[in-house]
Amino acid sequence: MLRLQSIILAKAKHFTVPSPYSLRLVKKRTIAMDLMHHSSCFLLPTIPLQRRPSLITAQLHLCADGGANRLYDEMPLFFPQEDASDVRRSMIGALIHGRYKPDVIKGDMDSIRREVLEFYASLGTEIVDKSHDQDTTDLHKCVTYIRDSASGLDKSNLCILVVGALGGRFDHEMGNLNVICRFSYMRIVLLSNDSLIHLLPRTYCHEIHIQTSVEGPHCGLIPIGTPSKSSTTTGLQWDLNNTAMEFGGLVSTSNIVKEEKVTVQSDCDLLWTISIKKL
Amino acid sequence: MDSIRKEVLDFYRSLGTKIIDKSHDQDTTDLHKCITYIWDFAPDANKSTLCILVAGALGGRYDHEMGNLNVLYCFSSLRIVLLSDDSLIYLLPRTHHHEIHIQTCVEGPHCGLIPIGAPSGSSTTTGLRWNLNNTEMRFGGLISSSNIVVGEKVTVQSDTDLLWTISIKKL
Repeated sequence: MLRLQSIILAKAKHFTVPSPYSLRLVKKRTIAMDLMHHSSCFLLPTIPLQRRPSLITAQLHLCADGGANRLYDEMPLFFPQEDASDVRRSMIGALIHGRYKPDVIKGDMDSIRREVLEFYASLGTEIVDKSHDQDTTDLHKCVTYIRDSASGLDKSNLCILVVGALGGRFDHEMGNLNVICRFSYMRIVLLSNDSLIHLLPRTYCHEIHIQTSVEGPHCGLIPIGTPSKSSTTTGLQWDLNNTAMEFGGLVSTSNIVKEEKVTVQSDCDLLWTISIKKL
Repeated sequence: MDSIRKEVLDFYRSLGTKIIDKSHDQDTTDLHKCITYIWDFAPDANKSTLCILVAGALGGRYDHEMGNLNVLYCFSSLRIVLLSDDSLIYLLPRTHHHEIHIQTCVEGPHCGLIPIGAPSGSSTTTGLRWNLNNTEMRFGGLISSSNIVVGEKVTVQSDTDLLWTISIKKL
C-alpha cells in the first residue's frame, strides 16, 4: 500500500491537474499547447503476484447510491474464507491494507437497499441524500461533492477513479460518459473489468504513458460529442494524421498501442479507451 | 478471422456454414463487414423491411462497443438493433418523426435519448417522465439518461440522429 501511495505521489507531476485555461503561443503558424500527462499506474497491484483485487488507496471512498449495494454484496466474495460481516466492517491486515467501508454514500437513494444504507450508516458512513435533485445523475452528485464539499481532501492533484462505470444499463453508461465530459477540467477515469476510459480535452496535447503490464494493446479514440476535423496521434498501429473523425464515418476503434508512449492532439474532446489485461 | 478459434471455425465449416475471410480489410469492423454482407445479400424487395438484431453488442472492450454504435450511424438507413442483457439500442434518424411502441412486458421503464457524435439543437418527445420540448442536448451538457417511459407510446423528433435506449426486463 505504501509503495502504491509513493508511486502516485512520485508521479504527482504527471498527475498535475492542468490549469483551467490553455496557453497558446501562435508563432509562424505553430500553436503550442500545454502538455497533459496520463498514466494508469493506479492499476498496478500493490504487491507483485498479488491475486486479490488491487486495492486502490484513495483519500476518499464514495458510493453512488446503488453502488453501495454492490460493495456490500460483492466484497465478501473476494474473501470467502472470512466472515462477510468482518470483511464489510474491518481494516484488513496482513497482505492487504485498506477499508471496504465507504466514507460517503451520495445520490437520490432510489437504488440503495434499506438494510445496506442502515449498515453503512451504523459504521459512520456519511449519507448525503440528494433525492430532491432529479436533474443530475448519482455520479454527477458524487463528483460535485468531491469538488465542492469534501473537506480535508488534497485537491491539488486530484484524480477520481470510478469503478463499475460501464456495463449494465446503457443509459447509465452514457450518463457516466457525460459526467466526464461535463467535468472536463477534472481527471476522472472510468473503469470496467475490460476497459479504462478518460477524456482528452481539446485544449491540451496529450502524452499517455502506457503501463504495458496491466493495459493494452487494444485502444480507441472516440469523438463522442462532436465531430473532429483534425486529430493527430503517434504511438498507435493506425496513427491519425490531421484525420477527420465522426460518428457515421471514421472512429478510431480496434486500434493497437505500439509504443509505451502515445501522443494525441485534436480539435475536439476525445475519449481515450484502452483495454485492461486480465490477471 | 483474428478472433475465431480454429476448432470453432472448422466445426461450423463442417456443418456447411459459409466462411468469408475479410482479413485484408482492416478499415472496417467485423460487424460492419457483416452488415455489408446482409445488405448486399438481401433481395431488393426485402430491404425496406429488413431488421438486423445484433446480440452481444455491448459490454466487453469499450472500443468494440463504440465501433458497434458507429455501425448504426454508418448504416442509418437500415434498422439495426443492438442488444445486451440489460439494454436495447437503435438509431432514430433525424430525417423522420418517430413513434416507439413500448412492449411493457419485456422492456422499460428506464430509457434514454443520446446525441452521440453531434449535439442536438432541438429535440422534442412525448411519453416520457421528463419530456424534451425543443430542448438542446449535447455531451458536456444535457443528455436524456435515466428517463422513464410513461405509457405505451413514445414519440421523438430531433434535428440530429439520436440513439434510443431502453432497459430490458429480467425474465
